[in-house]
Parts: sequence; structure tokens; C-alpha cells
Amino acid sequence: MASIELLILFTLFAGILAFFASMIRDILGPVVTILASLFIFISIAYFGYNGELDMSTSIIPFVTFGFSYAGLFFAIIVTFIYSMVSFYNPFFAKKYKSPSVYSMFYLFNLVGIIGVFFTSNFLVLFFFFEFLVWTSFFLISFGKSRKAAISYFGFSSVGGFALLYAIFIMHNAAGTFDINTGLAVVSGTDAILVFILFMISAFSKLGAFPLHIWLPFAHGNAPHHFSPVLSGALVKLGAFVGVMGLLRVSVNTYQIDAIGLDLAHYIIAILGALTIVFGTLMAIRQDDAKKLLAYSSMSHGGYILVALTLGTSLGIAGGLYHVVAHGFSSAAAFLAIAAVSKQTGTTKMSELGGMIHKMPVTYIVYLIAIISMAGIPPMGGFVSKWLIFQAVIDQGLIFVAIAVFFGSIGSFLYVFRPLAALFLGQELPRYKGKIKEAPYFMMLPMVIFSVLIIYTGVFPEFFLDFINNIVVEVGAAPITLSNGVIYILNGTLYPSLIAAAFAVGVVIALIIFLVFPKSRKVDLMDTYTSAEFIYTEELLHYSNNFYAPLERLYEKYINIMENFYIGVSKKVNQLGRVFRYYFFTNKPEITVFWIIILMMALLLGGDLL
Amino acid sequence: MLNILAGIGIAFFGFVLQTSVAGFNRKVTGRIQKRYGPVWYQEFRDIFKLFTKRSVTHGWIFDFGVIMAVGGIIGTAMFVPLTTHTLAFAGYDNFFIYVYLIAVGMLGMAMSASGSGNPLASIGVMRALTTMLAYEVPFMIIALTIINLTGTSSLTEIALAQQGQFNWFAIALPLGGIVGFMSLMGMLGKKPFETYIAPAEIASGPMVEYGGKQLGMLLVMHEITVFIEVTLFMFLFLGGAGSIIVFLIKYVLIYTFANMISSVNGRMKIDQVVLFFYKWPLIMAVTQAIIAIYIGWVI
Amino acid sequence: MKSTKFTKFTEKEADAKWWEIGNYFRRNSIWMLMYCTGCGAIELPPAMTSAYDMERLGMGPMATPRQADVLLVTGYLSVKTLRRIIYTYEQMSEPKYVVGFGSCTINGGVYFDSYAVINRLDYYIPVDVYVAGCMPNTEAILNGFVDLMGMMKNKTANGWVKYHENYEWYKANQIQAVGEVHVHDEFHE
Repeated sequence: MASIELLILFTLFAGILAFFASMIRDILGPVVTILASLFIFISIAYFGYNGELDMSTSIIPFVTFGFSYAGLFFAIIVTFIYSMVSFYNPFFAKKYKSPSVYSMFYLFNLVGIIGVFFTSNFLVLFFFFEFLVWTSFFLISFGKSRKAAISYFGFSSVGGFALLYAIFIMHNAAGTFDINTGLAVVSGTDAILVFILFMISAFSKLGAFPLHIWLPFAHGNAPHHFSPVLSGALVKLGAFVGVMGLLRVSVNTYQIDAIGLDLAHYIIAILGALTIVFGTLMAIRQDDAKKLLAYSSMSHGGYILVALTLGTSLGIAGGLYHVVAHGFSSAAAFLAIAAVSKQTGTTKMSELGGMIHKMPVTYIVYLIAIISMAGIPPMGGFVSKWLIFQAVIDQGLIFVAIAVFFGSIGSFLYVFRPLAALFLGQELPRYKGKIKEAPYFMMLPMVIFSVLIIYTGVFPEFFLDFINNIVVEVGAAPITLSNGVIYILNGTLYPSLIAAAFAVGVVIALIIFLVFPKSRKVDLMDTYTSAEFIYTEELLHYSNNFYAPLERLYEKYINIMENFYIGVSKKVNQLGRVFRYYFFTNKPEITVFWIIILMMALLLGGDLL
Repeated sequence: MLNILAGIGIAFFGFVLQTSVAGFNRKVTGRIQKRYGPVWYQEFRDIFKLFTKRSVTHGWIFDFGVIMAVGGIIGTAMFVPLTTHTLAFAGYDNFFIYVYLIAVGMLGMAMSASGSGNPLASIGVMRALTTMLAYEVPFMIIALTIINLTGTSSLTEIALAQQGQFNWFAIALPLGGIVGFMSLMGMLGKKPFETYIAPAEIASGPMVEYGGKQLGMLLVMHEITVFIEVTLFMFLFLGGAGSIIVFLIKYVLIYTFANMISSVNGRMKIDQVVLFFYKWPLIMAVTQAIIAIYIGWVI
Repeated sequence: MKSTKFTKFTEKEADAKWWEIGNYFRRNSIWMLMYCTGCGAIELPPAMTSAYDMERLGMGPMATPRQADVLLVTGYLSVKTLRRIIYTYEQMSEPKYVVGFGSCTINGGVYFDSYAVINRLDYYIPVDVYVAGCMPNTEAILNGFVDLMGMMKNKTANGWVKYHENYEWYKANQIQAVGEVHVHDEFHE
């Protein structure tokens, strides 16, 4: 029996304990973080799965908790990612100015997470939402650039205020702050306004177009061991708000009969499709591995949005399964890049090469993560992408389908680039002999994530059973699962069989390989160069401008959204200057101007009105 | 268990069939160029000659990638239906499995090619991936139309629908048939979309450091990939096959036709390939989808 | 000379039974390396085109030495080219064969008294078949290839095995003609 309220108090206390422990010795703070987050994850997962979470509140005033399957689902995934990534904290502790503050705010993040997902009161939701944004803002500013953190905070505040406005509209309609009654009662034009505000809030947290400027900036500049959490867990907060807004508010604008969708939902689907395309195209250009993965998170957020807007049981299940699959694979990929950057000090792909010969385990982890991100069987990404594809095809949405398929193939492109440029290729001489494999303690969470990614691909029924509960809770029909086969209207999928066929194929290939004569091993520099003698590895490593022919086709159009936002900020600046000129000045002519206006208003006021 | 053996049998049958048809097509190309071509079993001799040579390896990833590539392709080939009632795993032949399991094979080959340390191999892989981005999107739109019309995404059921309720989709959706054939040429890597091999520009691209058994296995992978793709096209657009004789006739006709078109074309540059596929084929595919799904004109 | 390390291959292995089956495949599908070293290379394209079709014998051109079976040394060999020929020869996969075109590979041809051209190719890399002439006719080239296939059938095309066994002798000749290759790192200086 675990009480949510006691968990929150425990986390707060553990955070303060980590702060003081880090003052004694640097490494004690991260150790407290690891133990506390593991404890929280295990208690939520174990008791929540068995349905024994205690929602009563007796110590903290004004706060109420309620149980919902969606909340439990998101909470388990997010706390798992937090607890696994916390294994990296001890290795990066010495690099920052105040590691004690880092551990404290890491645990405060968990307070916000538990509060957001388990509450049943809207104002409490808003409070914990803002608390989470505030603490993660401090964590991001530990990285390379302060401006990234400020940009993150600005965009999240937009989302927070939109949420607050929506909460007050619903309070007006329902009379109470309770979540379930509020969402059910609101209707009419109120519902449309609430829907738009919820969507603004979800977009700003997910990093969807048009509120996506902060995402690559914040992810690329965050500390290396916070990016997995930022990408794998925090953007899922936006998905949670999206679930609430899209699925539980009944909006009735113009219904498009040809595709069976509401106009508002269709606009959200189009915006999600644009997110996918933009994320993919920008990711193909990047040189920094972390920015590339950040744009990939933006693109996958678009997938989740598109899947959730469709509203059918396939779409909801596909979107929620994608939350799981993308969370794990994105966290694993970021963890691999963080391990590389710890050993070499950089994440730019044009400066690295040939890492596989010294870090093979990191390479395998990264390979499994990108196979899942590209949506290739037998990993988890294929199951979720298959569900999303079938959902889009069922509705017959052509333009959204173009974007979905483009994103799926394009993800193969950009996710291959770090593999070829960073891990494979020539070994650069400045790293030869100096790089070692990542320490065992760091390999542990990476390997756990890899095993889970394979598990979600080969045996999807564990998570799909749980997701069926959420689908039923939202009001659609559950997906038929039996013996590991997924039966939907348009087809069947048997993931274990695909994995088994792949395994049989690999065994046959191995037999063929071993039968024939053995090859002799040669050095990497002994390669075909038209018989020219070579001695510089940098000239033989292809990593810069990897997709140059494709980039040339669209490189003139990439700055449109950034220029738009810069233009908006300039206009606000000009507006402020106008106000300052007229109202906050000490020029005598303006004073004379206002005196004249005042006298005219007093003298002629009666006649004019 | 029996199903797995049947699957391996289908993969082996596909390999033998495609290698013979490829050898026969080298003779056809030769005749188009006014010379005798080689014998029809020349490709077998090439592949087995490669298996008996001793070559080099650049590390474990070089070998592992090749094994993963061939393994993935054999795994996909086990799902391929030969006729509408001859397949290894009945009921589980979903359309998306083929498209994405072929991607595993490509990923394995790409990994191993880049692991050889030669920049020309990475350039070749980059071109192959960009070509894949180009031809997949129009193909998927047409597949979306077909799946939406027939209400199922299983290949054998689509073929049965074409034999009963609809005409062959190459006739019922004419624009779609043309787009599907162009995407097939892209998938097979035939001129004018042969940018990823490009022997004179980038010294045969990904295959630059291969010799001996790795190259032999890559050729095996290529043959089985062609088998899967031509069968996919046949089941989607030409009504599948009711018996093995019809399957063989349709298979040879499709591949020979593609080969004849390719033997009189030059090679496009890579950005021309992307621009080509995103102009007319995409417009045709979208028009066809709108006509078929929303207006309902199916011939 | 930067050379690639290799393991020895004995005569005993060449006599095994499965080697004969391998010989059948190898002689019916010879892939030649398109490395045109000298003026004799002009006679190769006619062999590939429609009049004297090479493909009906199973031969075809290949781009890189790792994929090719036959190295065609067409014409005279300056010392500069010899360095690269030796490097290419050592990069090829085994079993591999060398065909010397033209008189310049046999005894120096018209350049027999030049200071920059070698006179006899056989001292530096083992040659299996010589095709005489300046340049040889296209029919003579095809005759040479058919002779090579016949030698492979009789198991006498063993130049590459001889290279393994007499490596020191070949290397001494190479160093005497070409000199040690000093590679210095211009990029980092």
C-alpha cells in the first residue's frame, strides 16, 4: 500500500538530503538521487500495477489525488526513465559548479511528475506543472548556454498560461476544479476555446510546430546527462495534456464527412504532420549529434499528436505505444551519445570517427535504439508505427499520410548519420589509443534500455494490455490481442513470428558465412584509394555535410520560423518603445501634447459624447 | 516448425528463380545491344566463384553487418507468398512487413559498408538512402489507396480481391500502376535510378571494399531482395497468381520489361532523382488516391 | 613499400578435390580490373563491345581490386606506375591472376633502353599469360583469355602461389627497381 502523498513528501525530503549530502562529499548526492528515484519507481510501478495506490491526503492541505489509467501509465514510464538516467549522475558530478543543487532539483522534478500525473484537481495540476517547469529550467541552465534555458522557460510559460486560462473557463462552466467533471461538462463555444488552449499548452511542451523553437536549443545545450530525461520523459508531459485535451473534451465544429473527422481535429492533424516533416528535414542537416536527436524528438512528438487526434481506438493505442517506444529509444540514444561525450569531450560528428573499435557496447546500444526509432522490426518502434499507419489509412487521410511516410523513411536517413560518421569510418589519430569503453556502471542503464526495446518489439502484449485499459477509459473500443497476435480491422500482426523469422535468417546466414574460406584481417587504412598511398585519416573519413545533395534542395527555406519569431519580438520591442515615448518620457513636448488632449477632452467632452 | 521449413524453402526457391531470371536478362540486354550475352546460369557461376575466393575483412562490424543483411532478407523472404494459397505463414503476410524488413537488410549492408573505412562506401550508402526516401513516398500513397479500397492489408487477400471484386489494380487504378512501376524501378536499383552503385563515379559505392564471400553474400541478398520486390508488385498490381505457372510467367514478364527499359536509359544524378519522384509521381499518386477514395471512380 | 600482410597458401591445398569445382566457377566468370596502365589499354574496349563480345565467356569489368580476379598490365610500366601496380596486386583477393599485354611487359618493347621503364614484368610480380604484340589484336587478347582459362583448368595458373613462396626474391627486386617508399605526413607538417 503506497500513499501518493507520502511519496511526494519523501521525494522532497530526499532532495533536501541530497543537497546537504553533496556538501559533505561530491558523490553522495548522486547516490542519494539514484536510490530515491529507484525507490519511487518501484513503489509506483508495483503498487500501481496491482491497483493499491492510496489517494487520500491528510498532511498537505488543498491537494487531492485521483487515479486514472492514463496518469498511472505516464507516471510509470517517466519515473522509470528518471531512475535509469540517474545512474549517470555520479560520473558527471565533478564537472559542474554546484553538483548539490543538481541532485536536489533532479529529485524535485520527480515531485512535480508524481503530482501532475496523479492529481484530480485542476489548480493542483497547474501548480505541479509550473513547479516541474521551474525546476527543470534550473537543470537545463547547468549546460552550455543560459539562453537555452530561458527560451525553454518562455515557451513553457506560454503553455502554462494557456492551461490556466482553460482551467478558469472550465471552472466557470462547471463550478468546481475537479478534472473529470470539468472536462465532461464544458460544451459549445467554451469547448472550442478550451480545446484550443489545451492544444497550445500541449504543443508548447511537446515542441510541435509552431512552438518548436526551444526544442533543439534546449536539448542541444542541456547537460549531457539531462538530455535523455528531457527528451524521453519531459516532452511526454505534453502528450499527457494532449490526451486530456484531444480525447476528453468533446468539440463540435464543422464535421468533415469525407474523412469522418472534426475540423478542429483535422487542423491539429495537419499541424502534427508539419511537425513531422520539419523535424525530419532539420534533423538531416545537423552536425551536432544531440541537436539531431532533439529534432528527432520533435518529429516523434508529431507522430504522437497525429495518432491521438484520430480518435479511433487504433490511433489512441498507436500514440500511447509510441510514447513507450520513443521514450525508451530516445533515452537510450541520448545515453549512448552522453557516454561518447564523456570519453571524448565532444558531440560534434565532424570531429569524431571510428568510435566502434573502442566502444563496441555503446555502439550496439545505439544501434538497437535507432532501429526502434526508424520503425524497423523486430523492435518496439515498428509495432507503434504499424498501428499509426493502419489508423491513418483507415481514415483515408492522404496529406497526413504523406507526412507520416516521409517521416518514417526520413528518420532512417538522419538516424544513420551518427552511426556512420561517429561510430564507423576511420579512427582519427587524436583518439587512437586514448579512448576506453564507458564504465560498467554507465553501461547498466543502457543495456537495460536495450533489452526493454527488444522486449517491446517482440512481446507487445504486456504494454498493449495496459494501454487497452486507457482506451476503454477514454471511451473507445479496445484492441483485440490474443496470444501475441494483434488483430485489427485491416490486418493482423504477429511480432514474435517476425522476430523468429529474423533469427532463423541470421542463423542461416551465419552458417553460410562460416562454411566458406576465412578472410584475412587488414587495417582500416589499407583500403581502395586507386592505389594512392595515404597516411592521413581525417581526409578519408566522410562525416561532414553527409547528406549534401539532399540538403541543397531545401537549405534556402530553413530559417523561416526563426525569422518569424525574431520579427515578432522586434515588433513587441517597437510597441514598447512607442509606449515609452508617449507615457514614460520627460520631454516637454509630450507633456504639452497630453495637456492639450486633456483640455480638449474636458472642454468638448460633453459635446463629443 | 513445418512453417519455418516451408519459409526457408520459399526463400531458396526465390533465390534460384531470381538468379536464373537475372542471368536470362543479361542475355536479353546483350541482344538489345546486338551481341550474344552470357549463358542463363552465369549469375550462379559469379556467385559461387565469389564464395571460393579469400578476401579481406576490416573488423567484426564488417562481417556482422553482412550477416545481419542476409539474415534480414531471408527472414523477409520467408513471408513471401508464391501463389494466393502457397505461403509459409498464412494470414500473417502484412504489407508493411516487407517494406520494413527490407530496411533491416539495407541497414546491415550500410553498417558494414561504412565500417570498412572507405569514404566512397559511405557516399554510396548516402545515395542509396536518399533514393529510398525518393521512391517510397509515392509508393506508400498508392499502397494506402489499395489498402483503403480493399479493406485489408494482407497481400494474399489483396490478390484475391483483384481476382474477384476489382480488376487488376494496374488497370483499375491506371495512374497508380504507372507510379507503382516507377517506384519498382527505383527499388530494384535499375537505371535511371542506379545512383547508389555508379561504378565509374564512386567505384561501385558500398561494394568498394568487398571481395570473396562477403560480396557473394551481398549478391545473394540483392537477388532475394529483387525477388521480394517483384513479387510485391505482382500481388499489389497484377492480381497475384493462382498457380505456379502463372506466377512464373508474370514474374519473368515484369522483370524483363523493367530490364529492357533500364538498358536504354542513362543514370540520373541524386538530386535529380529526388526532384523527379517528388514532382509527377507524387502528384499522380495523390490524384489517384483522391479519385479512388473520395470520388470513387475505379475502372 | 607499404604492403598488406597475408598468410601462406600451400601447394597441397591447391590439390584438394573441391579446388577443382572452384576452378570451374573461377574460370567461367573472370572479372577483370579496369586499370588501364599504358597505351595497350586502347585494345580493351573493343573486346567488351558487341563485335568481340567478352561477356559470353563470362568475363566482365569490375571497379576495385578487391572485387577483381585478373589484373591486366597493358603496355609499358614506368617506375612510378610499378609502385602502384604492386600495391594494387597485393590488395586483390586470392586466387588472382596477371595477364601481361604487349611486348613491353615481355622484354621492354620499344622502350627497352629507357631509364624510367622496367624491362621485364616477371621479376616484380608473377605473370601467368603474356599476349605479345604492339599492340596485340583484339582476337589475340581473347585468345589470351581463353589460354588463361585453359591454364586454370589444368591447375597451372599458380602465379599467386609462387608470389607467396618466393616473396623475398620478389621484394628484393622491387626495392632495387623502385626504392623504398618514404611516406611523410604532409598534412600535419
